[in-house]
This record gives sequence, structure tokens and C-alpha cells, in this order.
Amino acid sequence: MYATYVIWTRHMRKFVQQTEELVGLALQSVLWVVLFGVGMRGMISDVGGSDYMSFILPGIIALSALGGAVGGGMVLLDERLRGIVKEYLAAPIPRLSILLGSAASTATKALLQATLMLIVGLLMGARLAINPFGWIGALILLAIFAIGFSGLALGVAAVSRSIAGYHGMIFLFNLPLLFASNALYPLEVLPGWMRAIVLINPATYLIDAVRALAFGVDATLPLWASGLVLAIFAAASMAFALALFRRSLRG
Amino acid sequence: MTELAVETIGLVKRYGMLTALDQVHLQAPAGQIYALLGPNGAGKTTLLSILTTLLPPTSGSARILGYDVVRDASEVRRRIGVTFQEMVLDPLLTGRETLDFHGRLYRLPASVRRQRIAELVELVQLTDAIDRPVKSYSGGMKRRLELARGLMTDPQVLVLDEPTQGLDPQNRVNIWSYVRDLNRRRGMSILLTTHAMDEAEALADLVGIIDHGRLIVTGRPSDLIASLGSDVIRVRGSGDFQHLATVAGTVDGVSRVETDPAGGLALIYTDNGSRRLPAVLNTISNNGFAIEDVTLARPSLGDVFLHYTGTALRD
Ligand SMILES: Nc1ncnc2c1ncn2[C@@H]1O[C@H](COP(=O)(O)OP(=O)(O)OP(=O)(O)O)[C@@H](O)[C@H]1O
Ligand SMILES: [Mg+2]
Repeated sequence: MYATYVIWTRHMRKFVQQTEELVGLALQSVLWVVLFGVGMRGMISDVGGSDYMSFILPGIIALSALGGAVGGGMVLLDERLRGIVKEYLAAPIPRLSILLGSAASTATKALLQATLMLIVGLLMGARLAINPFGWIGALILLAIFAIGFSGLALGVAAVSRSIAGYHGMIFLFNLPLLFASNALYPLEVLPGWMRAIVLINPATYLIDAVRALAFGVDATLPLWASGLVLAIFAAASMAFALALFRRSLRG
Repeated sequence: MTELAVETIGLVKRYGMLTALDQVHLQAPAGQIYALLGPNGAGKTTLLSILTTLLPPTSGSARILGYDVVRDASEVRRRIGVTFQEMVLDPLLTGRETLDFHGRLYRLPASVRRQRIAELVELVQLTDAIDRPVKSYSGGMKRRLELARGLMTDPQVLVLDEPTQGLDPQNRVNIWSYVRDLNRRRGMSILLTTHAMDEAEALADLVGIIDHGRLIVTGRPSDLIASLGSDVIRVRGSGDFQHLATVAGTVDGVSRVETDPAGGLALIYTDNGSRRLPAVLNTISNNGFAIEDVTLARPSLGDVFLHYTGTALRD
């Protein structure tokens, strides 16, 4: 949809203009990787047959995409509360394009951030698989994942009445996403009940697939299944966001 | 039959228990300036939100240039330009980016966008500021930019919600002159809301008075005013307004007395104000009413408002 593209360019224009946001995001990426890398490497030398840096990077990348999605929801909420969305709503464009434009800009930022993190990770000793198709596949999955979480954040943003309310709601599902996933520990070491919970979390599929595609680790879950789960998740969460957004417009 | 720019039939909007619009039948002919005049909370913004497809009606229907705002929403959106009551501008974008982005949303080709921006910037006198970020604009400049944005798509119907709210007199008069120009030169149909009667008098071909969600009366400002009588004696003061109305009504040549005790105001309509003034003042001050201030004038739209709603229009 053309309107999605137009709205995406507006978000990106603002993004590149805001030096603080740019620098903040870059520093944050570097810090995450450096802190995890330096702090943990001393303790843990090797997880599931790969070095710790390569093991932890996909998780950090997934989590920073989550942070990006939360920020994308914030932008929608801010535009809603200040009335800026009215400009979109009175224009001859589909409602969905407003949400997709926002999700696409979140995904773009997540990709930039991931690239930066990978570079820092490599400098710190992570070992990337020599397979450009794998890297591209991993980035595509990351984009789909970012769109999925944007959908959830946008849905919450569409119905929140205040910034505090939004953060309260987001916090509810942000924390479990970090710990109830394979980001920090391999799937095999988890007890059965925990594994069941972790397998509900879309982040688990992304992290597993990225480990396999970009770092050459053996996949725990079939790649096609991870791709399918992520695609379904993204579609469902955008549908969720659209339903809530429409509901908020009924007045 | 003349073409209608805006038509609503039995339009109702409820927010929960609150009825914000109550059976509104409105007809605004194409090519004219229609002003909706009403106090805070009258339902003006609600009505415009429905007309601009932002809000669905509870019942009844509304059409813009014959297109239903619910069923043919995208046809309506293509044909209207809007400015909202609150300023809705992105502070980080420049004026030019704001206009350009708006044009792109409506799929205007780059050459058309460039040309329109050049024209509009001239029209609303923002030439010097157009490449600065909007956050550096004054309130009046922001309003003018918003007006330009509403005009980017060369709309057939322009909808303005309180276009001069919060502006200084000079900016107000500027906006008035742009609005008049657009209407006279390009034949643009314009629907605007205001709670300032001087604005309605200065601009409107047709005025609709709205209060508590009901469209109470519609007409040309001059007709509405003429229907009240030839002269009005406006008396401000304190005392028993009911008694004042009774005694003043008995004075020769007085056709009607209207009072707004809360506002400390009485309007005494006469056939000839300057001739009846002494007798009227004599009668009411003899009856214990303390007069603070008297003016003699032709009736205004404000008096029309008081006549139809029973309270003065305060802003
Ligand atoms: N989203 C909403 N939810 C509930 N009530 C609302 C909502 N929007 C408006 N109202 C109420 O509906 C009534 C009409 O409001 P509206 O904003 O249309 O008035 P208005 O004529 O534009 O007033 P103003 O001159 O202050 O802008 C008011 O009583 C208002 O409190
Ligand atoms: Mg209003």
C-alpha cells in the first residue's frame, strides 16, 4: 500500500532528524552487547557447542526489537493523544496503512540495530556462519518478528488513555517475554513445564532460527516451523491492532 | 435545486448517556460559507467529526456533495480539506515537509505538490518560515500552516473547526480574508464553526445556531437579525428581571423583551430605539432596577442567539 510507504518515510524522516534518538539507540545496542559479552564471557565459556557471544547475540537482538516495538507504540499513542492521527484518519487511506507504516518503521530500526549489534558482536569474538543467505534469512525473520510485536504494542497504544497506562500494560507482557524464552539459556536445559511456556513465546522461534541461520548452530526447532510461527504471529497481531484501533475510533 | 455541499438528516450522536447531537437537519448549499455558531459543548466538533468521517453517527445520515459519510467515506475524504480545533502539527517537521507529506498522503504528483506549496505559502504568508521546524512557529503561524495543509489537495469542501480560536485580532482578520477569498475567487464551499458572533457575521452567507446538540435556527445573518425587529435597547444592570420584562413590555413601541438574568442583561426590542429610549429607561428605573449601562443598536447575531436559546452567548 502506497500510504504505508508514505507514513513509513515520515517516521524515518523524523528518526534521522532526531540525533538524540539515533545516538541513544546506537549506544544502547553497543552497550548491551559489550556488557553481556564482557560480563558473562568470563563466567560461561561455551553454551550448547557455541561460544557465549554467538549464543547470546540473537537474544539481545530480539529483545532490542521488542524495545523498538514499545517505542513505536509510544509514537502512535502520542499522535493519538495529541490529535495528529486525525490527519491520517481524514485522508483517503486505509486504517491498516497507518498501523503498517508504524510497524514497518519499527522493523527498519530493528534491522539497523541488529546490524550494528552483529558488527560489535563480531568484534568481540562472535563467530558468524559464512552464509550470506542465512544472514538475510535471519534479518527477514527479525523484521517479521518486529512487525509482530509492533502489532501488540500498537493495539495497546490504540486503546490506552495515558502514557502511564500504556507502559503499565506493556510491562505486563514484556518481562515474561525476556525470561520465558530461550534468550538466556538453551531450550534443552529447561524443565518440561517451562519448555511448554517458552514454546508459546514467539521470541523463542526467532532466536532459535537466527542462531541456526546466522551462527551455524544446529536448530532445536525446524526452521520452516519457526518461519511459519513468526508469520502467523505477525499477521495475528496486526489483526489484533487493527481491531482495537477500529474500536477506538467508534467514539 | 441547488447542489448541497453538506446535508445531514436526523443526525444523532450519543456518547453513552450524553446526547451530543440531537436530530440535526442541516443543509449547506455548495459555493457558500456556512457558519455553525454555538457555545462550548454545543456539539460543533462532534458534528464536524462525523462530517469528516472521523466518527460514525449513532443514527441519521450525513452527506458531503451527495456522498454518504459512512458508506462512501473514501469519496468524502477525497473531496474535503479539514482543519481541526486543536493544532495537530508534528513539531519536528518543517512547514514545507508538513505540506509535502500531506500531499503525498493524497497521492499528488511531485510537480503538483511543489506548485501548490509555492502558491499556498504565498497565500498564508509563511514564505520566510516555511523551511523552519514547526516547533518554532507562533500560534498564528501554525494556524495558517494548517489552513494551507487543508488546502493542499484543492478540496471542494473546506471544513474549519474554530479556525481563529486563540488568535490575536490581526491573525483573525487575516484568516477571515483568506476564507473569504477562497470562497469568492474559487467558489469553494466552506463550513466553519465558531463561538464568536462577529466571526459569523463577518464571514457567513448562512448561519446555523447550535446549542445543546440541537440546530435551533438557520438563515442569512441579515434575515435572522431583521426578524428580531428594527432596534434593540440593551440594558445591563441588576434587579428583578422578570418585573423589568413586564413593565418594559407595556411601554409604547416595545415589541418584545428578552432577559438573561444570569448575564445581567435585558434586550428591549422597539420599532424606533432613539425615540423610545427615554420612556423605556424612565419606566424601568422607576421600578427599582439598577441600570449600569445602556446601549442602543441594531440587533446583532448575539441577540439572535439569546432570542432562540434563552441565554446569552459567552466566549
Ligand atoms: N469522546 C467523547 N466522549 C464523551 N463525551 C464527549 C466526547 N466528545 C465530546 N463529548 C461531549 O459532547 C458534547 C459536545 O462536545 P463538542 O466537542 O462537540 O462541543 P463543541 O461545540 O465543539 O464545544 P467547544 O466549543 O468547546 O469546542 C460536550 O458535552 C462534550 O463534553
Ligand atoms: Mg469544538
